[in-house]
Amino acid sequence: MTIIELNNLTKYFKVLKRREGLIGTIKDLFKPKHEVVKAVDNISMKIDQGEIVGFVGPNGAGKSTTIKMLIGVLKPTSGDLAIYNYLPYKQRKDYVKNIGVVIGNRTMLWWDLAVIESFKLLKEIYQISDKDYEQNLEIYNQFFNLSALYSTPVRKLSLGQKMLCEIAAAFLHNPKLIFLDEPTIGLDVAVKEKVRKLIIDLNKIKKTTILLTTHDIGDIEELCKRIILIDNGKLIYDGDIKKFNLIFGAYRTLTLELGEIDDIPIESINEEISDTFKPIEPIILKKKEEIWLTLTINQDDTKLIDILNFLMKKFSVKDIKIEEVELERVIKEVYAGGLK
Amino acid sequence: MLKNLRFYFKLYFKITSQYIKARMQYRVDFLISIIGIIFTNLIGIVFLWVLSLSIPSIGKWEIDHLLFLYGFSLLAVTPLQLFFDHIWILRYRLQEGDFIKYYLKPLNSLFYYVSEVFDLKGLGQLGFSIVIIIYSSIKIGFEWTFLSTIIFILLFFSASLIMISLMIIAASAGFWITNSYSILAFIFNFKDFSKYPLSIFDGMFKFFFTFVIPIGFVAFYPTTLLIFPEDIDLTIILSPFFGVGLFILAYSIWKKGMNNWSGTGT
Repeated sequence: MTIIELNNLTKYFKVLKRREGLIGTIKDLFKPKHEVVKAVDNISMKIDQGEIVGFVGPNGAGKSTTIKMLIGVLKPTSGDLAIYNYLPYKQRKDYVKNIGVVIGNRTMLWWDLAVIESFKLLKEIYQISDKDYEQNLEIYNQFFNLSALYSTPVRKLSLGQKMLCEIAAAFLHNPKLIFLDEPTIGLDVAVKEKVRKLIIDLNKIKKTTILLTTHDIGDIEELCKRIILIDNGKLIYDGDIKKFNLIFGAYRTLTLELGEIDDIPIESINEEISDTFKPIEPIILKKKEEIWLTLTINQDDTKLIDILNFLMKKFSVKDIKIEEVELERVIKEVYAGGLK
Repeated sequence: MLKNLRFYFKLYFKITSQYIKARMQYRVDFLISIIGIIFTNLIGIVFLWVLSLSIPSIGKWEIDHLLFLYGFSLLAVTPLQLFFDHIWILRYRLQEGDFIKYYLKPLNSLFYYVSEVFDLKGLGQLGFSIVIIIYSSIKIGFEWTFLSTIIFILLFFSASLIMISLMIIAASAGFWITNSYSILAFIFNFKDFSKYPLSIFDGMFKFFFTFVIPIGFVAFYPTTLLIFPEDIDLTIILSPFFGVGLFILAYSIWKKGMNNWSGTGT
């Protein structure tokens, strides 16, 4: 069953085009020049009940603007938008009863109140029945041991604890649809795992549709079955995560600190690696900021550890970083036809 | 409608009692702010008294009448202080983007916004203003009959609504401009003019304080109606309507602001 439907959704912003210098500022004051920015440009999509969809894009791609239209904060410039047959910005109060929203770096709870008091207020606001309320607290306790945090005021929670409580709060009134905007932003790896587990489990138990905005590839890989990729306000990919993973999941970026690398002949190392490992896909080798050497490796092709061993024998390596592929690279690939 | 009203009253009570409980953890903070507000007003009264030594009366208005006016004015701004204190930091909420949360609960947005803060020091102000009003009403021989009490309450409601509405309008400027503080402070400082009889101002100012920034309705006109009913004129009769009308205007500006705001980048 389709619950979210967007057709050619578009949002333009009229922004003041600032001129430079003092004279420019004065001119702006009296004769402002406006410029139209297309924040969201003709996006169409359909989302079914129960899906976890990753809504992905680099900073400034139009993710937030789209989400703001979906949660009823912004009015679209043009296009159709229907969620459970509601028009979000027009029927705000009735519509938001059916959704839950978590925004990574903001709190939706009451800053000074203990967590459980916030929950009690939510019970009142959403008029949650005693049965549903007890049941949810039971789930939170059983699976995530959340009750340990209940008596702490929200402002005293750590970032990770706060996020767990925010997510629990968003699920409290059993909404059919939840928006998670950067839920793992600023969290360390262990806490990220916890937050992801909470999201997966609650989705399984409650069959809630989840729209997840993030630019953390890890979130997407672990949580989503489907991703929607946008860039410059345009939808550039909408489809199965498996296909996506097949292409990008195996990539890792290996970064080595080698001290002075000015006199290291990049080309010859590159050739040597190619000769030794014979990768199907060429390994990209780059110098970065004087002392770093980065390699992007497809692990299906070549074992990262072998390359590391190979380089360790040749150079004195001072430091190592292994990272998942960056979103910017993914987007470049998509434009180049990587997902076609 | 009535069910709705009950829902909001109950909710407000629950939020506020929790809020007070949390605030009470900072007892010193609370005591200092109460003492602060009482001292500020004591100084105001001493100023009135000193003034009365050199100027014994302004027209009919003698020191006790002025005290009554002062008390009424203080009482009229108390609901603003108690229930609408959150309005002062609206501009921060807007600038930092936190304001987005007020769209996301199935509640009236203005209610949700102001319900988050209950200013305890307003209680000190409430007590203080009641004491002044009782003291001065005895001194000037004001009779608290059934009718005069009803009129007093009606005028008080309308006066508070005017002050609240003016501040909502001023704060709502933040939806369109980045720093609305100057407008907010500008409007708020006008409340000080309400502590003096408008008859000391000439025609132009009187017009300004009646129809442009209707601060005259906050204390001067209501007090005149109460203690000098023989001076009654049409503007005073209009007073209760002014409060309601201005609040409707303020609320529609707030709504418009909410539709206009697009949030911050994240």
